This record gives sequence, structure tokens and C-alpha cells, in this order.
Amino acid sequence: MSLKILARNLFKTYRDGGRQVPVLGGIDLEVAAGEMVAVVGPSGSGKSTLLHLLGGLDRPDPEPLGEVILGDQSLSQLGDGALAAFRNRTLGFVFQFHQLLPDFTALENVMLPGRIAGHEPAEVHGAARKLLQEVGLEDRLEHFPNELSGGERQRVALCRALALEPPILLADEPTGNLDPSSGEKVLELLEALRRRRGTTVVLVTHNPDVARRCAKLYTLDRGVLHASPP
Amino acid sequence: MSSSRLLLRPWPFPVLLALRYLRSTRKDAFVNFLSKVAALGIGVGVAALILVLAALAGLHDRLLGQILAGTPHLEVLLPPRADSVKARESCSTVPGVREAQRIVAGQGWVLNDGVPQALKLIGFEGRLPSSFPDASHRQEGFYLPVDLAARWGLSPGDRAEVVSPRPGLTPLGPQPRVRFLKITGTFQSYASETVQRAALPLATAERLLGRSGRRIYVTGGRLEDAEGLKADLQSVLPEGSQVRTWKDLNRSLYFVLGMERTLLVVAVGLILLVAALALVVDLGLIIASKRREIGMLGTMGATPGTLRRTFLYLGSLLAFFGLALGLTVGVVGAWALDRYEVLTVPGQVMFVDHIPFLIRPVDLALVLVLTVVLVLAAAGYSGHRAASLQPVEALRQ
Ligand SMILES: Nc1ncnc2c1ncn2[C@@H]1O[C@H](COP(=O)(O)OP(=O)(O)OP(=O)(O)O)[C@@H](O)[C@H]1O
Ligand SMILES: [Mg+2]
Repeated sequence: MSLKILARNLFKTYRDGGRQVPVLGGIDLEVAAGEMVAVVGPSGSGKSTLLHLLGGLDRPDPEPLGEVILGDQSLSQLGDGALAAFRNRTLGFVFQFHQLLPDFTALENVMLPGRIAGHEPAEVHGAARKLLQEVGLEDRLEHFPNELSGGERQRVALCRALALEPPILLADEPTGNLDPSSGEKVLELLEALRRRRGTTVVLVTHNPDVARRCAKLYTLDRGVLHASPP
Repeated sequence: MSSSRLLLRPWPFPVLLALRYLRSTRKDAFVNFLSKVAALGIGVGVAALILVLAALAGLHDRLLGQILAGTPHLEVLLPPRADSVKARESCSTVPGVREAQRIVAGQGWVLNDGVPQALKLIGFEGRLPSSFPDASHRQEGFYLPVDLAARWGLSPGDRAEVVSPRPGLTPLGPQPRVRFLKITGTFQSYASETVQRAALPLATAERLLGRSGRRIYVTGGRLEDAEGLKADLQSVLPEGSQVRTWKDLNRSLYFVLGMERTLLVVAVGLILLVAALALVVDLGLIIASKRREIGMLGTMGATPGTLRRTFLYLGSLLAFFGLALGLTVGVVGAWALDRYEVLTVPGQVMFVDHIPFLIRPVDLALVLVLTVVLVLAAAGYSGHRAASLQPVEALRQ
């Protein structure tokens, strides 16, 4: 199953106290089902914010109202509980920073989405092992996050995002902490998944090599998204 | 142990999460300390409540046992003109009535060498009523409390002077009525009796006291049947009769005992309340230190309900240790204190020589319900706070 992403007229202004920080100023984005697109932009331009909105982790400004539609589900129509369940089924996230749960081993971290979904424990366990093997972490299954290197953590996080083979993957610099060859492995994994399962991928990156592998490239600058020629 | 085992268990996800957090929070010294304070507080509260309630139940049990021994199951007060023999026969026809006995009761004195002793005079028909437990069913006659008889050096066969306040007309004008009666026997009276009693034959008592104190003592099967019998009796008795059960007769005592119990439960229950507050603070700290992880779980699709239940279970787990400890200490402690009569009471002060402990299932149930309600409220509130965290806000910290 693959889903398309449709974002219309997204505004996001952070308010704390009297200060207002406008970040996104009317984003329109359409990603076809099974497509992999990259978003680049200077630091602080709002790339992470955009991913949060696309994944329903945060809601866009109510005025002017925009909307995010994944497949044919408009996120604004879901309550907190339904949205969480929808995320579990539909979305995989890879975040920029600290994302593993320190109380769980690498293997357990990858098992979490499956257990949240209520899948058969043995099945979840098998799938998690296999994923970690694919990224070369078969010797690190029982390690806790603080016993892993930054790059290893990043790979575990990617495995966890892919654990339920979600139709949509939102990745915030998944190769940021990786050496070129590990980064390459991660990208191959993403690419393989996209081909096999038709996963729709939005990838935020600073790395031009990574960006070049994507079907489309967008640049986020001063709150507006521009399509760039690949 | 392979720690991945936990996630292989087929338990609901919030349970798995709560179990893992239960283990991991031990690493934080302060949180660990607070968890222990909360659990220990609950344990102390539960144990204290059980002990206090058991001691109270033990004392009340003895006290009521003594008082009820001297109280008929039901007492019928007859209107002045009613025929008491007919009324007694009507009582006997009511199903469930074992015994109905005509009684005349009133105030009087027994004189010895001119020294009066105030007594409640109970005139009875036939055999001595069962409200004289150690002497019940003995033949008609004049009976005095054993300690009074001992004090005055009287024994069965001796004569004593019984005086009633009802004046009789004599050539010398109105005089108190006096009878010399031969003592038939003695009975055991209780320290808890505020006014001592003396038993004498109905005919004698009627002459001394008149007909105004006429009543019927009714004995049913069990004490609990009294309320039911009350209505049945009322319907067969003449207009104007009053039926009172042993509960009615001791109403003020029951009220005081009940009040005492309530006040103690509230006072000792405050320990539990403080422990529940410690639990809220403890869970609050755990949630604060796990904000980011809670956010991560949110991105993976853990619903607010899942998070709420996780912390509800975690709080309940922490409290469970305290509850188990408190139950054990309370029950074993009450049993041992009772069995070995540890807490003694100076002889003459009370009607017991040691404090008896009686663990009643209803008291245990009360303690359990109170604890569970407080813990669920505390843990539920914390769970609610965890559930209301927005994933991004939690991630950003
Ligand atoms: N909660 C917040 N309150 C106020 N301002 C915020 C908040 N979150 C983000 N911002 C601001 O919004 C802007 C966009 O942040 P965001 O994290 O989306 O940037 P980014 O493009 O991902 O940057 P980077 O490439 O460094 O990761 C930044 O200027 C940041 O300071
Ligand atoms: Mg970012």
C-alpha cells in the first residue's frame, strides 16, 4: 500500500509569551505515492517543523487554516487518540536528535511500534532482528542506547521507523551522523523499501549527494517551499 | 536474563512499559527514594488502619457481648390498660418467636442494715429471663447480683428488704412499699452495667411497682432477626404498644461506637492520603524525567490512553508493594497481639484485661477499598498528566 502526501496552505507561527516566531508561511506540497523527495534548506528554516506538521505531531496555525492529507485522511479530522493510532499504522519517523528510549535495548526499541500496534510478540521480535541485521547491528541487539555510537543509534532509529513497513516515512537527516559507507547503507535500505513496498518518503538533509538520489528536491527558505531542479 | 524477554510477553503494552519503568526508575536515587516513601507510607497507613480497626472491633465485640447479654432481643412496652397475659399470648403466636415473657420493671432499693442500694427491679414470670445469662431459666424467686450479695454477706436463704418508690396508703399516711424477700440465688453482673439489677417474682414486683412498668421480653432465633420480628409483633399487639429491639434499646451506644470508628478511620486514613500525595509527586518526577521518551512513544503511535494506563499501572505497582506489606504487617500483627495478649489493661479499669484484636472481613474490605481508591486517584491523575503531553512539546525539551 502506498499513500500520497498532500499539504495545503500550511502556516506555523511559534508563540511564546509575547514573542511570535513565524516559521512556515504557506506551504503547498504534493508527494505522489511511492515517491522519495528531499527537502533542503538552511538551519532554522523550519524543515523539522514541516515534518512535524506532515506527521501530525503538531498542528498548523488555525488561521489561516491549512491542511495535511495523507492518502485520503485529513489529519485535522482526527482526535488525539485516533491520530496516534493512525501514526502507528501509517507513519515512520526518523528524528534529527535523541530518539531511542534509553530504558530499552536496541532490539526492544525496534520492537516497540509492533507491540504498540498489538502484533504477535514473536513475529515482532523476528522482524526486528532481521531489520537490525540488515543494517549490520546483529552484534548490538542487547545494547542499550547509551552503549551505542551515534551512528549506530541512528541506524537503530531507522530500523524502528521501518519496523511496521509504514506507507509513509518522514526522515529528518537520517544520515547526519553516519560515515559515508553507513550512510550509503541506510539510503540503500530506504530505497529498497520504497521499491518493494511503495513507501512514500520525505527526507530532510543537508547532504547534496543524498538529495541527488531523490526524485524531487525542494528548498525551504524564509518559510516558503521552492521546487528545485534535481 | 535477557532484557528483551519483557517485550516478548503477550501482555498489553502499557503493562510492559510500566514494568520496565518500575525497574529503570530505581536508577534515579531521588525518584527511588520517593517511590519508597510512597510505598512505605501506604504500607504504614494500611497496617495502622487494620490494627486500629481490629482493636476497636475486639473491644466493641466484648463490650457489646456484655451489654447484649443483659438486653432482651425485643422489648414490648404495653399501654396501661392492656391485658398483659393476652398480649404475651399474641406475641407467642408470631412465627420466629421462641419465648415471650411478662416482665415488670422499675426503680427500687434493697436495704441492708438500713443502707439503701439503688437497683433496677425486674419482676419476671416463670423462669429467670435469658438477659441474666449465667442464671437464666432458673426458677421463680428473688435474685441479687453476686457482688452485692458478697459485699453484704448475704447468701441464698437470707432475707433482704426490697423497697419501691410507689407509695402505699397506710393508717400512717402514704408510705413506701416494703417487702421482705428470701434470696433464692445470685447472678453475675457486669462492670459495664451502669445500674445493677435484681430479679424477683412477677406478682411481688407488680405489687411493689404497680402496672405502669409492664412489658414483655421477646426472644427470637438470632439477634439479626429482631428487626423483622418487630413489625410482626406490632401488628398483633394492642394499640399503643411500643416494640423496641436490642438495637433500639442501645441506640445511643451504637451511635457513639460508630462515631468513634468513623473518626479513627478518618484520622488514620490521613496517613494514606499523605502517602498518595507522595505517589503523585513521585510519578510527577518520573513523568518529568521521561518527557522526551513519552513524546517518542507518541510519534510511534502510543495513544494518550496507552500513556495514561502506563502511569496508572506504574503507580499501582509501586503502591501494591506498600499494600502487600501493610496487609501482612497489619494482619499478622493483629493476630499476634491478640494471641499473645501483648497489650494488657490494668485490671479494674475496663471489662477486659488485655486488648483483644478482631479482624473482620468488612474492616479489611474497607481498608482495601480506601487504599485502592486513593491510589487509583493518585496514579490516575498522574496518568492524565502524562497523556496530556503533546508529542512535539515533549520531544523539544
Ligand atoms: N517551540 C518553539 N518555540 C519557538 N520557536 C521555535 C520552536 N521550535 C522551533 N522554533 C524556531 O523555529 C525555527 C525552525 O526550527 P526547525 O527546527 O524547524 O528548523 P530546521 O530547519 O529543522 O533547522 P536545522 O536544520 O538546524 O535542524 C527555528 O528558528 C527555531 O528557533
Ligand atoms: Mg531540524
